[in-house]
Amino acid sequence: MWRQCYPTCSLFPIAPQHKIGDACLMENTSLSPKPFHFAAAFGAGGLLTLMILCNGTLAAYGSLFFASWVPHLAGSIVALILLMALQPGRATKARPPIWAYLGGVSGGITVMLTSATMNTALALSGTIALGLAGQVLFSLFADMRGLFGLPQRMPSQRDYISLTLIIAGSLVLIFFGGEA
Amino acid sequence: MIVYAALAVIAGLLVGLSRQINGRLALSTSAMESSFWNHFVGFVFITCVALIIGGLFAGEPQESPWWAYLGGPIGVIFIAAGSWLIPRIGAAQTAMLIIAGQMISGVVLDIVMGAAGSPWARTLGVALILLGMWTSRSKRPNTITKHTHSDN
Repeated sequence: MWRQCYPTCSLFPIAPQHKIGDACLMENTSLSPKPFHFAAAFGAGGLLTLMILCNGTLAAYGSLFFASWVPHLAGSIVALILLMALQPGRATKARPPIWAYLGGVSGGITVMLTSATMNTALALSGTIALGLAGQVLFSLFADMRGLFGLPQRMPSQRDYISLTLIIAGSLVLIFFGGEA
Repeated sequence: MIVYAALAVIAGLLVGLSRQINGRLALSTSAMESSFWNHFVGFVFITCVALIIGGLFAGEPQESPWWAYLGGPIGVIFIAAGSWLIPRIGAAQTAMLIIAGQMISGVVLDIVMGAAGSPWARTLGVALILLGMWTSRSKRPNTITKHTHSDN
């Protein structure tokens, strides 16, 4: 598994002053969201809505390729400028594995898949609903196994309850909230 | 039909996969560098596929309003936020809070833009999501800590 190749704890930069075992303990207990994390993730969801509005508008005028190509190009330029301005520095001296650079490929394939399914009987609502299911399943599995060198974390019963409520609410909005 | 449903689920899996990989890159580098590589590698990939399949500039992209081009810059912050959060609160929490934020802001946007919709469904949906978020905010039992302790 990935996790064995890239053990989570030694690579985790949040608590470098701790020994490996301590850092592990700290991660697992601190993985319930603090107010700032909570607000940041919720706010990121709001950004996603604006992003979809923008990219969806591009797709209405140009091709679906164009609507994905332009934001990736503009995003690369803006991120490069921000990197040069902020100079955040690297968290560790150790080089990240090459596959860690390939997240964008996965994102690119996502765009192509969703543009394919959106035009079937699934429509946008079905595509979003099934996409949510896939996303939640993957994230639960990824947490349980600590996939790709990220901290391992067993979801609690509370997590399942809250996930169920959020997904239920999302499905209500997707299938019944859209049109009168 | 089943095939398309499977493809839609796979698209969701890939969203999670991408976030996980970007989060791993941010662990070694920084959230912003991870966001840059996500966009740049994605750009190269889409360019290659578009060159093979063609039709990149089909339609009338020059007619689109100027603000539609802001999706990229917004995405930079979005990907950086996800890469920063996922090692800190876990993939599941990250995913569900982003979904909650996306859904609720979507309702707000629909109302602002005057999109037709059922007020009842909107209220029920938002209420369920808020309840789910409130549940995750409640204090976590200590048993998890003890369990982790014995593991180490």
